[in-house]
Amino acid sequence: MGSLRHPLSISARRSRILPLALMAACAAFGRAQPTPPADIVIRGATVMTGSHGTIEHGSVWVHAGKIAGVGPTVSAPSSATVVDATGLWLTPGIIDPHSHSALDSDVNEATSPVTPSMHMIDAFDNRDADLYRALAGGVTTELLLHGSANMIGGQAVVIKNKFGLDRDAMLFPNAPGSIKFASGENPKRVYGSRDQLPSTRMGNFEVMRMAFEDAKHYMADWDAYDAKVKKGDKDAVAPKRDLKLEALADVLRGKLYVQIHCYRADEFLTEEAIAKEYGYKIRAFHHALEMYKVAPQIAADGTAIATFTDWWGFKDEARDAIPWNAVMSMRQGIRVALKSDSDDHIRRLNVEAGKMVHYGGATEDEAIRMVTLNPAWIIGVDDRVGSIDVGKDADLVLWNHDPLSTYAHAMKVYIDGDLFFDASLPGWGTTHFSGVMHDGGGFGSDDEEDGQ
Amino acid sequence: MRFVAPVTVFVACLAGSIAALAADTPSSSVVAIVGGKLLTVSHGTIDNGVLILADGKIAAVGPAGSVKIPKGAQIVDAKGLTVYPGLIDPESNFGLTEISADSATNDLEERSDEIMPHMHVSDAFHSDTELIPVARLNGITNAVVAPASGDSIAGQDIFIQLYGSREQMMLGTDVALAMNYGAEQRRRGGPTGRATFPSTRMGLVTELRQTFLDTQDYMAKRDAAAKKSDAAFKRDLKFEALIPYLKGERPVVIGVYEAYDVETIMHLAQEFHLRVILNHVTHTQEVLDEIAAWKVPVIIGSIYDAPRANERYDAVFTLPAELAKRGVKIAISSADGGGPASSHSARNLPYAAGFAVGYGLPYDDALKAITLNVAEMFGFGDKLGSLDVGKMANVVLANGDPLDVRTDVKQVYIQGVAVPMVSRQTQLRDEYSK
Repeated sequence: MGSLRHPLSISARRSRILPLALMAACAAFGRAQPTPPADIVIRGATVMTGSHGTIEHGSVWVHAGKIAGVGPTVSAPSSATVVDATGLWLTPGIIDPHSHSALDSDVNEATSPVTPSMHMIDAFDNRDADLYRALAGGVTTELLLHGSANMIGGQAVVIKNKFGLDRDAMLFPNAPGSIKFASGENPKRVYGSRDQLPSTRMGNFEVMRMAFEDAKHYMADWDAYDAKVKKGDKDAVAPKRDLKLEALADVLRGKLYVQIHCYRADEFLTEEAIAKEYGYKIRAFHHALEMYKVAPQIAADGTAIATFTDWWGFKDEARDAIPWNAVMSMRQGIRVALKSDSDDHIRRLNVEAGKMVHYGGATEDEAIRMVTLNPAWIIGVDDRVGSIDVGKDADLVLWNHDPLSTYAHAMKVYIDGDLFFDASLPGWGTTHFSGVMHDGGGFGSDDEEDGQ
Repeated sequence: MRFVAPVTVFVACLAGSIAALAADTPSSSVVAIVGGKLLTVSHGTIDNGVLILADGKIAAVGPAGSVKIPKGAQIVDAKGLTVYPGLIDPESNFGLTEISADSATNDLEERSDEIMPHMHVSDAFHSDTELIPVARLNGITNAVVAPASGDSIAGQDIFIQLYGSREQMMLGTDVALAMNYGAEQRRRGGPTGRATFPSTRMGLVTELRQTFLDTQDYMAKRDAAAKKSDAAFKRDLKFEALIPYLKGERPVVIGVYEAYDVETIMHLAQEFHLRVILNHVTHTQEVLDEIAAWKVPVIIGSIYDAPRANERYDAVFTLPAELAKRGVKIAISSADGGGPASSHSARNLPYAAGFAVGYGLPYDDALKAITLNVAEMFGFGDKLGSLDVGKMANVVLANGDPLDVRTDVKQVYIQGVAVPMVSRQTQLRDEYSK
């Protein structure tokens, strides 16, 4: 419904301005980026580590883009650039495990309920203003997901929000692959409205099973071929490569993290049962608004959730959403992340985390972890980002207030030890970007961009 | 802290457009809220304060020691708590929607025509909506309910309180005219719409001007017929609806986003001497001085609207501060930029005001923007919006700063009644916490 939405939210989406700066950047593809100082010390901040509590008047030493020290004091060389952060707060970079930013509305290939060979990187527009706005909100890593129109959607891309760099320089190096699944109202509405399968939850799940039966058959053909080759059979004929079945086979082989858009308690259970039947693991349920109803069962499977804090009632399957869901599920052993699914909320995920103190009494440590280390785990990059620990990437945000309060905003954002945003600068506050941004367009979520 | 729900009964008599609140049904209990930090909104902060609620109204307010606690009063220990007037949302759709995606539960706007002043929100208001208890738990006690924004003239708003019977809840009916101007209305008739007039901004303005002229003509004919006691004169409900607004008796809330659209629609409003409240205005940064010069109050929402391309990230976040700095009376609405774009998110109203503080709005102005200023804009300034003697006892007790997301609201009073802190959501929480 449009009553309170901005009427221009879908305007000017298609302008494909290629500014000189971008052409210059393209021409310079592969060149070394300007190097940040080798050593930086951020001194005197309230350091919320995300992994081991908060250090009052703490310091963090960044060396060559990595965290080299963290504590009440650090032993950095005297040549280090010192940032006086007295009175400020320092957190790991905010990580959004569910974004559809910078895809120029190419969120859903809603032409078939099974499209696992779609790759979101093919739609990624690194000049989208939504990336800039998220950066200004302290977001350093995003999982850009396919939408929820299809039971089995496309494969995600993980980015570091180095706004202003070339497209490929914004990709998270060697991040594991993820694939988006969906369930519930969106697939059945999209295809049901065309009198196609699926139009019910029965149809939804059977579409998945049929796809995996195809994939198993395909894998068997390849296994048979590989066995023949191994035996030295020179006449063995390779089966035809099929991108769709290959992607599904990667799911069955455990090569892709499965990220499932799913709202209702019964559907979590059905999804887990299907995953067991076909032998794959579910990395996270996204939205997961009814997880509080079945948390112990799902916790046993090790599946995390990426949830909204307080969205509810926008559709029937969001009717039983309660804002205590995240903390209640966490207390039952579920790994909980908060996510945006919104080009608006991605700008203030720290405040969303603050709500968890209110709704359920999360500690500040637990709340911060829901937007840093836990989403990092969901994406599979928690060994490199998500907390302030020695050896991790120096993705850091300096805040002017406690980041869990309503009043906080990001003052400086570092990614790999390089300053990408500084609110004190005039203009945009960007340090690597000059040129023309593409209009980010609307603030839609995948629920609104699924081909309705 | 101990609460005993008093058995206050009150009757709101609807008289004309604004309900006269009947204080003549006395409350059987008196509540003394003692020891809290009172944010009065109208006269500063009282650190160790006493607030007396009686007969559904605020009977006394002041520092401890200066206020006599009546005999037999129920004492509520508010030590360590913050006490403030109930929050007021200047634009909501409470009772007009339940499940956004389920059109059968929506009564948001009548889209058959652009000019629909005779649509009365009071006819559709569903007082049992689950949205209201959810918002109430975060300290929202009152709201303006307006139709959605698809029509140039969408209908007439109601002013509600978030507790009581349906009659009690509707403190005022037809309190304001909901108007809109801009791209959204144009699109309906435009190339992607029905290809009917009006399909451009020229069409929208012309249609509005003709409507106001036709109403003036109708008023003249109606007055002439009345003088002659002409019983044959046929009433036209559409024109009748517009009369109080053309006479400047009640405010017109104009939803508009862009600077150039604000200028156009204000010129039209001034031509017909409308009493304007501007709404949204999130892309008007270059005409803020003009807005201040017009001396019209402004509802800002959503503070989370996207900036225009190539604008600084905080172009909209700073708007409340920029307007307040220019002396504009501002209100902040609960409208959410992303998320469920409806009053499902109304419980986040205080956080929108807090966000504005983060971007430069003085704290006191932010609190006013969701209390007293809203009450004043819609004709309830003498009844709501601050902790003052004689005002309705709509009071919130929380364990901290009301504008901070971490704060927990402990108790809400509406007309002196301690409202049960229960919603369908708390019931689900409790059911699954066993």
